[in-house]
Amino acid sequence: MLRDTAIEVIDPAAAGSGGTLVKGVWPGVRMSRRGADADAGPTGVAWVDSNAWLARLTAARHPGAVWIDAPPEGNRPGTPQQYLITMADSAAAGARWLITLDNALAVGIAGRDPKSLAAWRRIGEASRFFAEHAGWAEWAPQAVVGVISDFAGTNEFMGQELLNLLDRAGQHYRIVFKNRMTADALTGLRAVLYADQDPPSAALRKQVLAFVESGGRLITAPVWGETPGKLSGPAAVPGYTERALGKGRVTMAAAAPDDPYVLANDSVVLVSHRYDLVRCWNSGAFWSYYTLAPDRARAAVQLLFYADRGPDAASVRVVGRWRKATISTIEEPAPMPVKLETQGEAVEIYLPQVSQYAALQLEG
Amino acid sequence: MSCQYSRRQWLSKAAAAASGAYLARGIPGRAAEAPASRVAVARCRTYSPNELLPVMEKMFDQLGGLGRLVNGKTVAVKINLTGSPTYRVGYLPLEDTHYTHPQVIAAAAHLMGKAGARRIRILESPWSTADPVQEYILRANWEPRDILGAAPNVEFENTNFLGSGRKYSRMKVPHGGYVWPAFDLNHSYEDCDVFVSIAKMKEHATAGITLSMKNCFGITPCTVYGTGAGEAEPTLIPKGGRGLIHSGYRGPSKSAPQELDPKSPREDTWRVPRTVVDLISARPVHLAIIDGIKTMTGGEGPWIREEQLGVAPGVLVAGTNPVNTDAVAMAVMGFDPLAVRGTPPFERCDSTLQLAEAVGIGTRDLKRIEVAGTPIAEAKFDFAAIRRKRRAAPPPPYGTRG
Repeated sequence: MLRDTAIEVIDPAAAGSGGTLVKGVWPGVRMSRRGADADAGPTGVAWVDSNAWLARLTAARHPGAVWIDAPPEGNRPGTPQQYLITMADSAAAGARWLITLDNALAVGIAGRDPKSLAAWRRIGEASRFFAEHAGWAEWAPQAVVGVISDFAGTNEFMGQELLNLLDRAGQHYRIVFKNRMTADALTGLRAVLYADQDPPSAALRKQVLAFVESGGRLITAPVWGETPGKLSGPAAVPGYTERALGKGRVTMAAAAPDDPYVLANDSVVLVSHRYDLVRCWNSGAFWSYYTLAPDRARAAVQLLFYADRGPDAASVRVVGRWRKATISTIEEPAPMPVKLETQGEAVEIYLPQVSQYAALQLEG
Repeated sequence: MSCQYSRRQWLSKAAAAASGAYLARGIPGRAAEAPASRVAVARCRTYSPNELLPVMEKMFDQLGGLGRLVNGKTVAVKINLTGSPTYRVGYLPLEDTHYTHPQVIAAAAHLMGKAGARRIRILESPWSTADPVQEYILRANWEPRDILGAAPNVEFENTNFLGSGRKYSRMKVPHGGYVWPAFDLNHSYEDCDVFVSIAKMKEHATAGITLSMKNCFGITPCTVYGTGAGEAEPTLIPKGGRGLIHSGYRGPSKSAPQELDPKSPREDTWRVPRTVVDLISARPVHLAIIDGIKTMTGGEGPWIREEQLGVAPGVLVAGTNPVNTDAVAMAVMGFDPLAVRGTPPFERCDSTLQLAEAVGIGTRDLKRIEVAGTPIAEAKFDFAAIRRKRRAAPPPPYGTRG
């Protein structure tokens, strides 16, 4: 362990022996080659690269530590903010970033350059912060939809990209492996997504249709097969039809989905923004991870802002009857009270000026 | 004598001169015959339905009663939800700054229902999406049921694309058009008997002010007129803003009517006011309502790089002629409705009011407009003075929002 940090020194080749090492991407708002303009998604939203979904999927697949290998893209010099984003993007989701410095920073640190040393200190502070709060990522992730897949083989692209792009769409999801469904796998969810290329097994079909009959929603494609229930007309999004089944709905795409971006965004509307767990204003591109403590009286909402400059006058609406909120950041790790306003079954929290990362701790 | 102009100032003045020359040639002379009708002004301090409903009901009565206008009719209501619902002025709710307040929309719908409206369609072309309007406003932290439940048969339609129609409605500009001879619009703008514009009282970076007329700029679908519009045919979903109308860097989808004169100025300060007049000519406004209870100064939304203030003028303005109504609202804002390019709030742009008056839509001459309710002097909230003070100081730095 490096002094005054939580940075663990390991041989990268051995990282997999105590856990799982996976290849990730250098996270952040993807810049165009000119560097001045951010690339945009198909509807003009800035495109964000992230490893948070990968950290969660890997942890769900493999017990033990998850290491993300995500070096600076093209060894281009990273800003201190980018290093913070990179570390938080993995750590907030429970993984650890395999620290890889760009050459300029490494040379600067070796040469005792004050700016480089300051950047290095910040990486150390961030690693210490996340080590101290590792428990947040181990609490129960709150979710609106379940993504059912094996996330492998012919379903790897669609399944994995759905997780990635649901994060971008601000949707909170649960990873549900179709081959190891537990009885409570769908408990508490509003909807499930099934976009695999192969039809569901009889057992999966039975469990999901029971979920629908009790009030849930299934969003799927013709591969699902015949569905009982009564056709109730077109869905809120063009290209889908709806069937009423028990207290719930089956929303069927007209054709097999081929674009996870479209499916992720369609699904958010099909489920409805009414059920958003977290809404954020003035945040720019952001990601949130909402976890509930085992006592259910405490929660953490970790917020990551991908722009190089932290948000200005941002506020966050979090579902839940929370009475008290505090905020911690890498720069100010001690929890500070923040203004909270009750809005029915949710609260709105007004953030002070923060950098790229903030954690809200909520108490009921 | 040394030159006092920066290159930017010089270019701006040169552009203004060129536009002015084009303006002199292009403005018809029907101002004298432009109609005048009564405009109602009322003080209203809050959005509480207890205060708002009686105030609005009285205003509509002062205009001759809503029943005369909407009884047994399908009413289309264009509201203003400009910009992303995740982008606020500071910590203020969107409806307190740049969105038409949902309580004003709900009160209008309620009173229309009470007056016998058969169907009320709430219309908007939300930023870069084909999502239902209900979903869009949830992201603004609104409750759609507050509006849908205000009267029987209230519905929303996103008009930024084809929507629930089978084809776009071709709507011609009766006066021939300043820029456009006709538009291809969502069917809702044709499939109605009465068209209502419910705007927010604001300044506007490109058009000087945005009131009931400028609100109608947003009736254009971005699948045809947006940055991502299809070249030959409209796209299925809208993408981006209306840059092609602003700057004319390209034409709309070829399936739609093209500009009358591709050699006309390419400046947004010339094009936007004219496009607005063409739009309200093609889709006439029967009732204009301007929400100035709470709003903002400094521009039309938080993305404008001027100092922005959330303010509470506590006023509503309504009329059956959009030019008359906007003229009275301008006066309430402390501006002269007879102002032309070069004078506030049209320092950089042409006056939409002047252009609309010139084609005979309505007069902007307060001497010809009867004001019912609160006198303008008593309702005045001086945006003009705030503007002068603001512009005497350097602009604030940008934050990260969106």
